[in-house]
Amino acid sequence: MEYSIRQQLSQYIVEHQEEFYRLAYSYVKNRDAALDVVQESIVKALSRSDTIRQPDYLKTWFYRILLNESMNHYRQGRRLVPLDTLPDTPAPAGDHAGRLDLYAAIDRLSPQEQAIIRLRFFEDMKLEEVAQVTGTNLNTVKSRLYKSLRKLRELTGEEVST
Amino acid sequence: MKDPWQQAKARYQAEECPPELEFAVASALRAGERKRKQRRLIRRSLSAVFSTCACFMLLVNVSPNFARAVSQVPVLADLARVVTVAEYKVEDRDHLIDVRLPALELKGATDLEQRINTEISTRIDQVLQEAEDRARETKQAYVETGGNPDDFMPIAITVDYEIKCQNHQYLSFVLTKTETLASAYTEYYTYNIDLQAGKEITLRDLFGSDYKSIINTAVSEEIARRSQESDMIYFAPEQGGFQTIADDQRFYLDRDGTPVIVFEKYEIAPGYMGEQEFPVPLPGGTQ
Repeated sequence: MEYSIRQQLSQYIVEHQEEFYRLAYSYVKNRDAALDVVQESIVKALSRSDTIRQPDYLKTWFYRILLNESMNHYRQGRRLVPLDTLPDTPAPAGDHAGRLDLYAAIDRLSPQEQAIIRLRFFEDMKLEEVAQVTGTNLNTVKSRLYKSLRKLRELTGEEVST
Repeated sequence: MKDPWQQAKARYQAEECPPELEFAVASALRAGERKRKQRRLIRRSLSAVFSTCACFMLLVNVSPNFARAVSQVPVLADLARVVTVAEYKVEDRDHLIDVRLPALELKGATDLEQRINTEISTRIDQVLQEAEDRARETKQAYVETGGNPDDFMPIAITVDYEIKCQNHQYLSFVLTKTETLASAYTEYYTYNIDLQAGKEITLRDLFGSDYKSIINTAVSEEIARRSQESDMIYFAPEQGGFQTIADDQRFYLDRDGTPVIVFEKYEIAPGYMGEQEFPVPLPGGTQ
């Protein structure tokens, strides 16, 4: 049983590696750093795989590790910006009225808010799953989500309906 | 006009994955699997009672202090040992926390073992919580007084332990918590266990009912001697210096079993003198 959970985990990771990379990239905005984050998360997950008992939680469990790693790198990255990351981050594209487009506006949110938005809308997770990944309860996720959407509306000046 | 969410999502998904990704994932899977096996190995042999040899080797690897303590004991004390149960680091913008949490394994004294282990873990939890609160307050004060939050120096906390004495009679270890903000400050928690009796040792057990005056005299004499012979400076008794040991005075047993009285930094001497230790030989010689 234990063996099969581990196999499932490896298989899940291999199949979804591109999603992991994109989520990591959306935080660190740098190819090498994103690869690092993905690798570190996988090593962490595998080395602790003995602690998962429920295969149902594989996905949220792994995303939680990935998100933590991404945010750690993101925070470090804000303190220390190597020169070669600069070309990867073009100035936020402003459209006609100097307003941000939605994609760029998301980067202006706090890391936690970014997580909720990306998991919910880009990874199409259910709110319950988002709550598990972020380690909060459903109500907190909902209120943060609404707050983030309000902020996005202000940033883009558009009606960001979902 | 296209839905902005669809646009944003398309852009998110358009991020091209580098060709190295597949290789990176495969090698991470292998590395993770290797690590997992190591962890299992350690955990298993820690719980295996019979594989004393393997256990010994691994503990030597796990804890240099343990290795040092054990190497001084001719026969490996099999009644009790201290193992590292948790080792973790937290590194983020506001904290640099490094914890090596010990736990006690005592044969035949489960109550005592449990009590001490619970005490250790609650104490550490509390210490970390307090440190966290303090870090938050300090940072808030720093920012409110015009400091740049990005320049804030993270608070650094290290929790570690050292085995001071381990033989058939006694087990003595010291748990330390060091917090570094502007200057470093270490708190000591000492644990002394009489393995034969299966209980914690008190200074009264060691020196008899007169223990306070015996130790007070010894410490005062030593303070006088140190002040004379070196340029060490202690606070005078009327300035808040040493007068008497506390009822729950911290002490540990050194490797010969001699009790060593411990005072924290600032407790009886100026901060630059650091923490102060006074070995007080037992009246009838060491046991």
